[in-house]
Amino acid sequence: MSRRVSCEDLVTERSYQKQEAISLHAKGVQKKESRWTREVGLGFKTPREAVEGNYIDKKCPFTGNVSIRGRILTGIVTSTKMKRTIIIRRDYLHYVTKYKRYEKRHKKIAAHLSPAFVGVAVGDTVTVGECRPLSKTVRFNVLKHSKKVSKGSKQFQKF
Amino acid sequence: MGISRDSRHKRSHTGAKRAHYRKKRKFELGRQPANTKIGAKRIHEVRVRGGNRKFRALRLETGNFTWASQSTTRKTRIVVVSYNASNNELVRTNTLVKGSVIQIDATPFRQWYENHYALPLGKKKRQGKDANEESEESKKRSNHLMRKVEARRDDAKIDQHLEEQFNSGRLYAIITSRPGQSGRCDGYILEGKELDFYLRKIRSKK
Repeated sequence: MSRRVSCEDLVTERSYQKQEAISLHAKGVQKKESRWTREVGLGFKTPREAVEGNYIDKKCPFTGNVSIRGRILTGIVTSTKMKRTIIIRRDYLHYVTKYKRYEKRHKKIAAHLSPAFVGVAVGDTVTVGECRPLSKTVRFNVLKHSKKVSKGSKQFQKF
Repeated sequence: MGISRDSRHKRSHTGAKRAHYRKKRKFELGRQPANTKIGAKRIHEVRVRGGNRKFRALRLETGNFTWASQSTTRKTRIVVVSYNASNNELVRTNTLVKGSVIQIDATPFRQWYENHYALPLGKKKRQGKDANEESEESKKRSNHLMRKVEARRDDAKIDQHLEEQFNSGRLYAIITSRPGQSGRCDGYILEGKELDFYLRKIRSKK
């Protein structure tokens, strides 16, 4: 289960968590809990949790300071044990010309998972977009999430 | 120096050890940290990539601080470093870095406030001199000025925590510039929720 960031985390952090883009003290502003969100573009809808939530994540594509540009990939979630990041696995077939047959190959990608996405579990399908390096191995950010379709369901699941 | 910022010495994402096949390059260089302290201004200029300059502040004593809710900025003396989220060592050694919470001299802001709103701020400590001193109320102001001041009166209320700080003559502020890069120590005065947060942190340290 993905780790849910709650209000208590805002207190246990050592520095005050806030959105860089919002000035907290400007005079004449007093909409309670003003929050800045952005559209990532390319047709991706920003989740409701991003707009209504309380979390602070500077690496979130919807409420933080990262832009999505470059590649957009999809994959299956294999691990959600890290704090705010997941590992995605992309399977593909590689053609060997000599034998005129395919072989299975896979690549794993580390992607940043914004707290806007709740309930991301192993086996779910996820769409990630390329962004600037966020850490040693993370260059992607989760943009869309669809739950794993359980066996017996009539839905056709393309991967 | 020997400090480099490359990733060729690190293991790859898969855990493989990367072969060492080339020497360190100049574009990967790193420099010694500034560790800016409080004291008489001492800034060294560094020539950096592209011929540009960086101003490495080694000692600073003043900075430009903003009082956001009142929209004023004043140059003030830096007194002491109170809290640093990353490293307590930096607090003990009074090192100025971006994001550290410091105490600054409150007098320029108090003077601005008393001029702008014609209200006293911070309790008057000297009892005997009151008769000689020109108190704020008795200072001569033109009618035009008084009308402007009256119009501003509604905005004159400030937070209780801030008032206490004015009484002691020192305000809590946070540094938002990078002294080792720009050579300046600028920031804003803490207010509201942020101030509560850091006050709690400072108190729990003591």
